[in-house]
Amino acid sequence: MDKANEMKAIPLSEMDKDFKYEIAARPGAAYFKRCFSCGSCTASCPVAELDERFNPRLIIRTALLGLREEVLSSELLWYCSQCYTCYARCPQDVRFTDIMAALREMAVEEGYAPEALITKTRSVDDLARRLRYGLAEVARLAAAGREWGKQAEELKDLLAAGLKEIV
Amino acid sequence: MTAAVPGSGSALVVGGGIGGIQASLDLAAAGFKVYLVESSPTIGGTMARIDKTFPTNDCSMCIMSPKLVDCARHLNISLLTCSEVEAVNGRAGDFRVRVRKHARYVDEDKCTGCGECVRDCPVERESEFDSGLAKRKAIYRPFPQAAPNVFTIEKRGVSPCTAACPAGCNAHAYVALIRAGEFAEALKIIRERIPIPAICGRVCGLCEEACNRACVDQAIQIRALKRFAADYELSAGLEPKIEPHPEAAPGREKVAIIGAGPAGITAAYDLARLGYEPVVMEARPLAGGVLRYGIPEYRLPDEVLDRELEILKRSGLRIRTNMPLGPKLGHRELEVEGYAAVFLATGAGASRALRVAGEELAGVLPGLEFLRDLAGGGAAEAVRGKTVAVIGGGNTAIDAVRASLRLGARRAMIVYRRSRRQMPVGAEELEAAEAEGVEIHYLLSPLRIEGRDRHVRRLVCQPMRLGPPAEDGRRRPLPVDGDPVAFEVDVVIPALGQALETAPLEAAFPGLEIASGLIKVDPLTLETNLKGVFAGGDAAGSGGYVVHAVAHGHAAAESIHRYLREQDLRTGRQEPAKMEAAPPESFVARQKRIEVPALQAGERTASFREVETGFTAEQAVAEAGRCLDCGVCCGCRRCVTACKAGAVDHDMQDEILELAVGAIVVAAGCETYDPTPLTRLGYGRYRDVVTSLQFERLLSASGPTSGHVRRISDGEVPGKVAFIQCVGSRDLRTGNAHCSAVCCMYAIKEAVIAKEHEPGVTPVIFYMDLRTAGKDFDKYAHRAQEEYGVRLRRARVTEVGPGASSRQLNLLFENEAGRLEREEFDMVVLSVGFEGGEALRGLARTLKLPLNASGFIVSETFSPVSTPRSGIFVCGPAQEPKDIPETVVQASAAAAAAGRILAPSRFSEVETKVYPEERNVAGEPPRIGVFVCQCGINIGGVVDVPALAEYARGLPYVRYAEDNLYTCSQDTQTHIKEMIAEHGLNRVVVASCTPRTHEPLFQETIREAGLNRHLFEMANIRDQCSWVHMQEKTAALDKSRDLVRMAVAKAALTEPIAAIPIGVIRRALVVGGGLAGLTAALAVADQGFEVCLVEKSQHLGGLAARIEVSLNGRDAAGQVAELIRRLEAHEGVQIITNARLLAVDGFIGNFTSRVERTGNGQNGELTVEHGVVILATGAVESRPQKYLYGKSPRVVTLLELAERMTNSGLPDPKTEQASPPKRIVFIQCVGSREAEHLYCSRVCCAGAVTKAVRLKQEHPEADITLLYRDIRTYGLSERYYTRARELGIRFIRYEEDAGPEVCETDDGLEVTVFDSQLGDPVSLKADLLVLSSRIDPNPDNGELSQLFKVALNAEGFFLEAHAKLRPVEFATEGVFVCGLAHYPKTMGESVSQALAAAGKAAAVLSRETLDVEGKIAAVNTARCRACGDCEQVCAYGAVSIDPERKVAVVNEALCKGCGACAAACRCSAINVRGYKDEQILKMLGAVREAE
Repeated sequence: MDKANEMKAIPLSEMDKDFKYEIAARPGAAYFKRCFSCGSCTASCPVAELDERFNPRLIIRTALLGLREEVLSSELLWYCSQCYTCYARCPQDVRFTDIMAALREMAVEEGYAPEALITKTRSVDDLARRLRYGLAEVARLAAAGREWGKQAEELKDLLAAGLKEIV
Repeated sequence: MTAAVPGSGSALVVGGGIGGIQASLDLAAAGFKVYLVESSPTIGGTMARIDKTFPTNDCSMCIMSPKLVDCARHLNISLLTCSEVEAVNGRAGDFRVRVRKHARYVDEDKCTGCGECVRDCPVERESEFDSGLAKRKAIYRPFPQAAPNVFTIEKRGVSPCTAACPAGCNAHAYVALIRAGEFAEALKIIRERIPIPAICGRVCGLCEEACNRACVDQAIQIRALKRFAADYELSAGLEPKIEPHPEAAPGREKVAIIGAGPAGITAAYDLARLGYEPVVMEARPLAGGVLRYGIPEYRLPDEVLDRELEILKRSGLRIRTNMPLGPKLGHRELEVEGYAAVFLATGAGASRALRVAGEELAGVLPGLEFLRDLAGGGAAEAVRGKTVAVIGGGNTAIDAVRASLRLGARRAMIVYRRSRRQMPVGAEELEAAEAEGVEIHYLLSPLRIEGRDRHVRRLVCQPMRLGPPAEDGRRRPLPVDGDPVAFEVDVVIPALGQALETAPLEAAFPGLEIASGLIKVDPLTLETNLKGVFAGGDAAGSGGYVVHAVAHGHAAAESIHRYLREQDLRTGRQEPAKMEAAPPESFVARQKRIEVPALQAGERTASFREVETGFTAEQAVAEAGRCLDCGVCCGCRRCVTACKAGAVDHDMQDEILELAVGAIVVAAGCETYDPTPLTRLGYGRYRDVVTSLQFERLLSASGPTSGHVRRISDGEVPGKVAFIQCVGSRDLRTGNAHCSAVCCMYAIKEAVIAKEHEPGVTPVIFYMDLRTAGKDFDKYAHRAQEEYGVRLRRARVTEVGPGASSRQLNLLFENEAGRLEREEFDMVVLSVGFEGGEALRGLARTLKLPLNASGFIVSETFSPVSTPRSGIFVCGPAQEPKDIPETVVQASAAAAAAGRILAPSRFSEVETKVYPEERNVAGEPPRIGVFVCQCGINIGGVVDVPALAEYARGLPYVRYAEDNLYTCSQDTQTHIKEMIAEHGLNRVVVASCTPRTHEPLFQETIREAGLNRHLFEMANIRDQCSWVHMQEKTAALDKSRDLVRMAVAKAALTEPIAAIPIGVIRRALVVGGGLAGLTAALAVADQGFEVCLVEKSQHLGGLAARIEVSLNGRDAAGQVAELIRRLEAHEGVQIITNARLLAVDGFIGNFTSRVERTGNGQNGELTVEHGVVILATGAVESRPQKYLYGKSPRVVTLLELAERMTNSGLPDPKTEQASPPKRIVFIQCVGSREAEHLYCSRVCCAGAVTKAVRLKQEHPEADITLLYRDIRTYGLSERYYTRARELGIRFIRYEEDAGPEVCETDDGLEVTVFDSQLGDPVSLKADLLVLSSRIDPNPDNGELSQLFKVALNAEGFFLEAHAKLRPVEFATEGVFVCGLAHYPKTMGESVSQALAAAGKAAAVLSRETLDVEGKIAAVNTARCRACGDCEQVCAYGAVSIDPERKVAVVNEALCKGCGACAAACRCSAINVRGYKDEQILKMLGAVREAE
């Protein structure tokens, strides 16, 4: 136990035992506990290849051990690009991508998500919604054979302004 | 015990792998008849393909091949290879089984396995045995040691090209022969059915149209290949040869054939070959018919036709020209001239009319007449400088339009009323015409021809469209609205087809029936309504191609032959539909066809020169090389010619066998996962990514590289080789959630062997959990790392991609430190797992057996070899993935279980061979017979065998010598017996192949002739002479002489040796009353034998009774109680508890043991006499030395936990109150897999995991953690591990050098450990700490091993006779082992082994006497000095010094005949019979004679 002595041991019995069950109860995360830590996800991950701090296997491991705060507060939670490669390759069908979604939801719900990120996400959502309405209007006018140049101009302005706000 | 069902003492064994072989041998040894059904041509299964076996590195084939020979030669094992079970009905004791024995096309009784057929076979296939890394032929034997040692021809139906030929020409065969460079042979095949190959090779391509290769890229150009074969004969200056018909019989009847076209010529050709005298009568001045007058020269030059006719004439074909039908030649005249039959093949020379206005205009030239005029030369005038429209889409139309261009037409076009797809002419012809500048107008139908000055001026056509298909399947053209289309033309050539000129025929053959403008014939026999008159070819509507007329010629000849022989004309001629072969399923790389060299388009129209110039030999071979061999065997029948034993039979049919059996053993094995779908691992993309089975073949000395480890891509020795574990195992994505149990060990073994073969190889194994849980496996893995430098890396590789250089492969994985890593390798081996597979699914359906989720046959823990269907048993990987020894154990167990059902009918269906009384040869001078084998040309092709036989004749004591084509064939055996009688021979020497496979056969033969089988000697002149000295014939003969001389010299001194019968006491002693002992005792008792069970403790039941439930939750204690109950109910069973063995004396069949009893007021000693003994002494759980065990009440062992969980649930250990512990920690490998105890206790992983699962299920709130090094839930147990994770049980892996630490705190125990997956130390609080403590061997084993003279391994477990193939036996016969006494194992494994031991024991007990091998040591007491050296060296305790008589004494039952004593003896007083010093010295003397 030399290694253990060098560092402070994480008191697992004091960690959140229910965390893993909570995650597993979320939609799409039912197989979360099946993980046997083979690392197929990490080795498949394009993000991990760019930034070695992002390690899907370790995220699951940490979550399984009940390190709730460490998992939910981590900035890394937001790195997943949702490419589904790990999902396809996981031998235990753990569905990491869906688990990431569940963890992000929990992070938002429990206030761990960075405020800036949430604001930015909201802006994107809002812009997307407005653009969608605008486009629907353009389509309606076009279908009725009416002039829609004005609405299109408005949309262009909206997009430019929205992007500026987000960036 | 199963009641004796009247019926069968036979068993069916399905599957001929090592499991099926072992089950068969055991059943046969126990007195039952066995049918062994195997789907492939040989038994041997996967084990035969493996190079070495772990952990002993024995050569797999070497240890297995004696079993193959035993099985194949066993009198009571009926080997049904190439066979499948089709249906099973009935019930235990009375099954009816239907077996289909697929035709192997080689007679098993006649084939001697010499292999001559292989040489001539032109078809190569990927060898299944070598996993596709090497080739075999269509006629093949999977491997040289195959059993039965015979060849098989693979057929997959008739290749479509062959099936497409109306004349029955075997296109596949001649293509294959051209590919093999056998051009003359190819032509021979063509000439069997085509008398005019050079012509058909120019004008007919029906075969080509059927070619399956068109689905891949382009059809093989079969027509051009046929032409090549024919032209080659001429260009190479070969003498054309026409073979006589195989049925030729001198008939000499004259047959008149009217018309020298293809039909007439073919009929005459056949009839002449059959021995008749056909005369062909041709109306025109030259023979050839449509070939000469209908096909233009640029396609078929006259010189080709003339050459073909010349060849036929030279072989006896008689053609009389200028003989038109008419007043001088008619039916009556022919009869008068003595013609016995007539074949009308006049052709149909008239063109069919266009039937439109203007047809009478000048410039309208009927197609056939136009083509005929080409030959005459009159056509040129008609078209030169003109615009020509040809109407029609057949060959005549294309020929006419292309001819027009050649004759100088200004413009030439085709007008056709359908579209291109419907055109009858071949695409090739059409393309050629277009290339030459012909215009083609589709969907136009002529309306009228307009003229000026009675000359054609314009052709007016109606536009058409295609309507629905008509009766003939072709879409009918229908007119469309729209303006007519007009062409300004000068000449119109209608080419709509041909018509028969009926008038002359009707005049010459009065009463001949004509229908629809053709002679009316029976389509099968070609009979007309006139007796003895047949008709064919175009005159009888044979079809559009020349080859159709050829087909009619054949049919007519056949009919005339039958007619003249007064046989029925129809019998057997309605050919059954041929099973056409589909294209091969394997991947075929695209490869474009080789274009036939031809004139340039510009050159073509300038003359009538032949457009195609034909393939060169190289081109022909390359084009033929594209053939896919759809039907596999091409039917060239060269094997028939090559086989001197006459064993090949291409007409063999499947046989259906109805078998009656009492029990069935399923040993069908399973499949290995095909990694092709896992494209990311590179299999099938990179050639140097291979499966583990392929790698086995690369390691094997009999493999494609003769055991040299080589990359597939470039044949180089690889440097770094990666093994990727769990490919198709523990992977839900592949459908295989289970662990395949064997891959970790086989990968380590392959790595070690690779390193041994090529020291430059650096193997790295990528694994998740190292599952080396078997006996001595961890030691092997340790040695692999320490001594061989095999690197083990804990990582799951996710991707294999191209490396930095083209040589390399790049592996991507997350390494042990949690970092992404790439590593380059030269070669990658995928450790593929096991899966049930389609074959097993099919068999399960047939047998109505359920499969589990992983696709294996379902069985239960306490009856691991029984299926839910009574009387059907299962063993080996068909039940669960497992390695060889466990398969062998289960096979023996299944045989024993089946034996319980069959026991009442034991010996009822077996044959016992009755031999004539042995002739007493004592006192006779040696009279030696020598038989020298040619082995076809296997030996005879190198060694001058007749000279060798002649030489043998002159050797001392030789009374008779001869040479045989095959000395081992059945008829030679009879002949040898006759020669023994005729010449009074009393010794026999055979000079042939290896005694390993053939000595028993010859010994059997001389035994049948009344000679003792030891009066036989063998010289191996095949392996040692013709094989190794293939290039030095003289030296081979000299050495053969030496070997024969030595064998004869030894034979002169051989003496009869009698087998020694020893009696058998039919009682078994079972030592140990745990699950294994009880199971074994009951199984022996159920077979009707007496049993004495001795148990050391007061109670029966052993560990199983304490553990209470098996891994899968079955009631172990109840099972033990049930076994005890049933055992006590047996009359012949004696159970002695509180017993200890004091002494054992004797040997197999005759043991005497002294047993001491204590306690229960029964103190005292008793003596047990028994024939066999089964050691089932179990094992013990060790007491842990660490983790506060014994110091804290919270720390218990796994076994103690099991006992606590019995009945009362789980009380808190501290308080012993009912409130159960909330926090539980398991620690695995306590005392196992560490320096002093390197072995794995095998059962603790699954044991702890299942206990944890049960606790979690009963107490969902409990916080359970399991600390482990590798989770070893091998096989189907993996599901418990999965279940445990799903339930939320925490698994923390620790390294051996960073194990957990435990200390007591106020709040229970605290366990600290470094979590190597997290990379951080963690601590856990525990109310209960469970230690999976090492399983130690029973401390009594040492004493028992002394008593029974059996060995222990280093740890103190009993050491079986052979780790792989004799897992329950010892070198000492009659002693068997099972259960934990052998090694830690699960209850299911214990039960299997107990049944196996019981089966082996019962096989001994079922005999009244045992014959002891006669070739054992014997003492010459006169010379013996009683020094005791022999006693010292004897490993079997068979030799001892008699203190009274002061001489060495041999215990004949124990002696193995190894000869160690003979070598040790300084006085030559002890010798092995059959290998006496004199004999050996005489042989050595014989060698010296040559010098």
